[in-house]
Amino acid sequence: MKAISLFKEICCIKPKFIMPTSPHKLLSLLGGICFSLPALAGTIKGKVSDAKTHEPVVGAIVEAENGNAKYKTLVNLDGGFVFRDLPEGSYGIRIKYIGYKTSEEFKVVLKNVKATETIGNIELKDDVRELNSVNVTGGNIHSDSYVRGMEKNADMVQNILSEKAIQLLPDVTVANALQRVSGVTIQRDNSGEGRYAIIRGMAQRYNNTLVNGVKIPSPDDKYRFVPMDLFPSDMLERLEVIKALTPGMEGDAIGGTMNLVMKSAPDHFLFNANVAGGYSTLFSNRPFSAFDHGGMGKSSPAEIRGNNYTATAADFSLDQFHYSDKSAPVNSTAGLTIGDRFFNKKLGVIVAGSYQNFFRGSNTQTIIPSANTNIVPVPTALLITDVLDRRYSTQTNRIALHNKIDYVFNDRNRISLYNFYVHQNEYQTRYTNDTTFGTNSSAVQKSVDVEFRSRWQVQDIYNATLHGEHQLSRNVKFDWSGVYSIAKSKVPDMSTYDFNSNVHFDGHGNASGADSSTYGMSVGHTWQRNSDRDWAGYANIAYKPSIFGQEVALQGGGLYRYKTRDNYYNDYSLKPFYGTTQVFHTIDTLSLAFNPTQNGSGSVSALTANNYTAHEKITAGYVQAKFMLLPLLQVLGGVRVENTQQDYTTVMPAEFSGRSGTIHYTDVLPSVHLKYLLRTNQNIRLSYFKSISRPGFGEIDPYSVPGEQFTEIGNPHLKHVRADNIDLRYELFPGGADQLLLGGFYKQLQNPIEYFVINRGGPSNLNIQAQNTDKATNFGFEAVYTRYIGKFGISANYTYTHSEVTTPKTTKYYDKVLTQTQTGTTTQTRPLQGQANHVGNASLLYKNPKIGLDMQVAFSYTGDRIMQVSAWYGLDIWQKPYTQLDFSLEKSLSKHFYFYTKVNNLTNSAARLYIKVDPTVLDNFITQGLPNQKAGSNVVNMQKEIVYLSFLGGFKYKL
Amino acid sequence: MRKIFIPAIMILTVLVFMTGCKKWADDQADIYEFKPAPGQAVSDAAPLCGSIKGVMLSGKTYTIGCDVYVNGGDTLLIEPGVTINVTNNAGIAVRGILVSLGTKANPVTMTVPGLLKDNTPGLAYAADSAHSSNRLWKGIACDTSCPMLVLKWTHIEFAGSSYGKTFGPAVQQKSTTSFNLLFQNPNGAFIMEDSWIWGGTDDCIRVSNGRIHIFRNTFEKCGGTGGDIVNVKGGTTGTMAYNFFIGSAYNGQKASNKGQPIGAPQTNVVMYNSTFVNGGRGVVPGQRGSTTNFEEGARGAFYNNVAVNCRVGYRVVNNPAADTANLSYGNNYQYADSLVIANNFFTSGTVCTRPQPTDLPNPASYLPANFDYTNPKYDGTPVVQKLNPMFVNYPLPSPYSPWGLTSIGTYNFHIQPGSPLVGKGYTGVHPLVTVPLASVYGASEVTPPGVDLGCFQVNGSGNQH
Repeated sequence: MKAISLFKEICCIKPKFIMPTSPHKLLSLLGGICFSLPALAGTIKGKVSDAKTHEPVVGAIVEAENGNAKYKTLVNLDGGFVFRDLPEGSYGIRIKYIGYKTSEEFKVVLKNVKATETIGNIELKDDVRELNSVNVTGGNIHSDSYVRGMEKNADMVQNILSEKAIQLLPDVTVANALQRVSGVTIQRDNSGEGRYAIIRGMAQRYNNTLVNGVKIPSPDDKYRFVPMDLFPSDMLERLEVIKALTPGMEGDAIGGTMNLVMKSAPDHFLFNANVAGGYSTLFSNRPFSAFDHGGMGKSSPAEIRGNNYTATAADFSLDQFHYSDKSAPVNSTAGLTIGDRFFNKKLGVIVAGSYQNFFRGSNTQTIIPSANTNIVPVPTALLITDVLDRRYSTQTNRIALHNKIDYVFNDRNRISLYNFYVHQNEYQTRYTNDTTFGTNSSAVQKSVDVEFRSRWQVQDIYNATLHGEHQLSRNVKFDWSGVYSIAKSKVPDMSTYDFNSNVHFDGHGNASGADSSTYGMSVGHTWQRNSDRDWAGYANIAYKPSIFGQEVALQGGGLYRYKTRDNYYNDYSLKPFYGTTQVFHTIDTLSLAFNPTQNGSGSVSALTANNYTAHEKITAGYVQAKFMLLPLLQVLGGVRVENTQQDYTTVMPAEFSGRSGTIHYTDVLPSVHLKYLLRTNQNIRLSYFKSISRPGFGEIDPYSVPGEQFTEIGNPHLKHVRADNIDLRYELFPGGADQLLLGGFYKQLQNPIEYFVINRGGPSNLNIQAQNTDKATNFGFEAVYTRYIGKFGISANYTYTHSEVTTPKTTKYYDKVLTQTQTGTTTQTRPLQGQANHVGNASLLYKNPKIGLDMQVAFSYTGDRIMQVSAWYGLDIWQKPYTQLDFSLEKSLSKHFYFYTKVNNLTNSAARLYIKVDPTVLDNFITQGLPNQKAGSNVVNMQKEIVYLSFLGGFKYKL
Repeated sequence: MRKIFIPAIMILTVLVFMTGCKKWADDQADIYEFKPAPGQAVSDAAPLCGSIKGVMLSGKTYTIGCDVYVNGGDTLLIEPGVTINVTNNAGIAVRGILVSLGTKANPVTMTVPGLLKDNTPGLAYAADSAHSSNRLWKGIACDTSCPMLVLKWTHIEFAGSSYGKTFGPAVQQKSTTSFNLLFQNPNGAFIMEDSWIWGGTDDCIRVSNGRIHIFRNTFEKCGGTGGDIVNVKGGTTGTMAYNFFIGSAYNGQKASNKGQPIGAPQTNVVMYNSTFVNGGRGVVPGQRGSTTNFEEGARGAFYNNVAVNCRVGYRVVNNPAADTANLSYGNNYQYADSLVIANNFFTSGTVCTRPQPTDLPNPASYLPANFDYTNPKYDGTPVVQKLNPMFVNYPLPSPYSPWGLTSIGTYNFHIQPGSPLVGKGYTGVHPLVTVPLASVYGASEVTPPGVDLGCFQVNGSGNQH
């Protein structure tokens, strides 16, 4: 792999500029100036392309030898090379490049220094001997232009990021890399790190994640969707986002399927290593707060001593409440990939390891809306309860191992064994200054709860796939996979304590003193863990008969997956053991107890519906056919049937309704994909597919877990979501990695799942619960444009999405007839949660193969979107448009050594949330001293999260 | 040659599936539903357990050995003089009707056998069985469908255990909830007259919503490190009067319209003639109240109340504000042993309690002329240890540490004839009666506002304890 590789095989389409077709005109206009300089003297020009794909081989070494002198240059982005100012003479030109056979010698004679000689196009052949079936057909699989070919030739609508593109991105995790894909928005965690992908406005629940085409389970405690930041991006061969499903694919994706294609064994010895260090500038402003996790019990007292044991304060450690500051912690990453083929290239092995250790964090100011509303100054007026100042310090320590062994028996039979393992430790300190706004605070005195939380989470994912491919006869092919996967998460002894501080003000906004007390204090210890274990088998058979001289591709197959899920949850809350409020000194000197004492018993804390075992059996089968209906119209159509059988059993006794349940359903999922070959480099696609989304077990199980604002509860009667999807796309592939894609989509969802705030058992028991709404629609269009000219390239995509869902909302108003306050109900139409109308990405690339320099500036934009749906009319929490600017650079230092750097968030972008309100409501808040507001505005700023700039720099060694 | 039809057949199949198989896709869910066993007639022969109904006969002693349920449609009627011993941290969940008909001469007692009331002043919380015994019972919890709970002349002692894994969900609560009494039906009636509650670990009585009538009761050692005694939320209407509170963690009586359900009325509570002693032991000034609280949209009235050595004064909350336009109050009395308490007669925090000329001590005697009642600042020195209420038997200033005495013991908080509380009451306030009046399924007496302040009237009316 060359540092310069992103631009490898990128061709200039100069010769095509004169072509009259309008898309080309458009493209050349968009592309701007074409860099061409008049030839000065003694010039030899030429072009180099791949013999199979006819795509340029950018970065290939061109040698010109005239007996006593040797000159070298590299193939440019546009696929061309040029030697300038060569002395007169006779030259032998050869082209060399890794992965290709060295070209034959071309003879060129320069008669004088003003002469310009042009060699035509030189085609390079793959350096693979006799093993065509081993060879991953055609060209360099790591490159952008290769994946452009895949996009072009694919049967369905998809977008792909190549390995080279991913490596050059400023992103070290797959989650962050995903935001560079058209129509993808990322959901960030509280350190500003991307975690989940929203595809075309469809939230993470509507998308699925595959590794090498195999569905993997999630370590999440409630949902199926996989945290994409678990995957280091340097292990990927390519990242596919498939937006229209074919019958052969699993049907549970409405937004799209993310397929992580991991590196496969190379056809020659491969050795890559990289090491880098970095730093987040957040910790120049404040130290990183670390805690000692040694005391955190692996198991809860109830697990150790049984549920009948009544724990006391002595059963819990306080060590994790001792914090220490780390100034300027250094981030580090290291990666190693070794691969080769043995035994006459029959056995291929690749092993890759990746280590990442990051110190991240954020400073967040959050305003918490009340669970209730007011009737003045307007009906259903926002009320605010708290202003939180939060500081997160998160250390993420991630090890990923990946290994693929493939064995080629002959050109008809091959098997492979794939192993993937990720292990992640996350140590997070959350420090919160929670100032009560309203009830217990005034201008002269504020009630502040000071809270510390220490959280250690261990997540693991392991996947093993044994895969075989067999060419049974000339036109019958069979493949199969046996899969074992496990995803686990453990949060042992998450520990929280808070104390109250009554801060006094002098009337001029200055704090004049504070009293710390045990008022309202509690100390929490929570154990949570879950695991998802999958056994699955896949089989497909393809038959390509020739009918009337035309090949028809028939395919059928199925899968069976048996999933077992276990969940454990145990939540202890200790209180200070005094009859009257005491002065608070330190957590160590406090007398703590369970009150009532029974709360220390596992039979109160651990015997909850959050402890359950669930199973899911998916049986699916499909048939599909692909044929040319008309000479230029390809049809791929078929149907998939998926049967879902689920059951869960909680540890609850017979008196508990919902203690167990079974759910089953069968979906018939037809799809048809039409591809019209407008020209050799242009397609028009039209597709319809039906797909589903299954609720997570954590949503079905009647669990109950305290959340940030509301207690979250499960809903055993939650239905799965079904959707009809239509896609239309125009594609232009002028050559190389250039592309123009214009498309539209329309989706209609039945029973979409949204979160509702419901009232159960009194006002202090406000719960948030997943429920089905009747239906939702989601439509939009997207444009992708990539263009390379000389040493520059631009890549941009934009997606417009409009979604609509109508849900019930609560109102509060003064009833003139009853002459009193009333709570009412109405409906409100709004976009789906998380969906932004406008999503865009743009990156500017610069590549200079001569000096071995690659640079990229990447910009991403996400428009307004709803982050949290409120139970109240008009009080949904929105995110302001978010922009981020990142930079990356790679420079070769010697033949095998490269320096690289990635800089994130150059502009210190902050994520901001707001609620739209009547200006009089805001005025009231400003009068009461609500911070961070702008008078006269019609929004209340609810959150500002700053993560600051971070950077990483290091070295790569590639052989 | 047949193969030519395959694509066509497939497309046809697709069309058939698209139209024909929608039913398959419906979620077939079979979720376990608990069906309670039919209620069994109560008997004193063996410990009670599970679904019960019927009549507990006068003078008999019953034992509850595990959680009992009064099913919807069933009634449990407890006759005068019945003693119920609750063991194994059990509780009574009510979906039907529970009526406890004690009399002055023959009260009903619900208690934990073997636990003794300890009136030692200054008893450490951890050593006080009223809060910290591991044998507390769960009390009486009505679910959201319960139409009526009536308690007359009933002792409820040593409740406050957490609801736990089955009892909690059965009454739509968390397993860690630990109220002594819970009522949560906006259309139901909760009647409590002349009764006593001893002990607890959180809110003593939580009314999520309901029609209430809480008259002439005595509350001792209620609450844990926190908790109000009578805490009513959105959708509650009725009257609280002539109650006696001692040693509350937070408020004695609190009304809020928070969580008013759709179709339920705005919280409207009339409070009068209650006495609060040593209230607010778990309170920090500026945060929460110690006597009465009106907050978040609640309307009503409070008059003729007496607060002695309570941490902070009567509290009308300004944000989220009580429905101050529909809230009236006056004739409320306060006494302080110390300056720190006197300085919180009008307490800080987001308050808007307006001093009333009918209040005692007279606000004009110690508040500055330009007193800002939303940010109170004044020197309470003039009213420290002033206007001694002249209890029959309780020394003031108190010989105990502040909030050290949380039960009555041998003391007597009735007032002597010369007390400054005598004759200062406002009798024009109208009780809000939202419950039926009846000897069994209703309230016995709506005692009108008294001429004397507090729950004990010199003429012997009011609180009868």
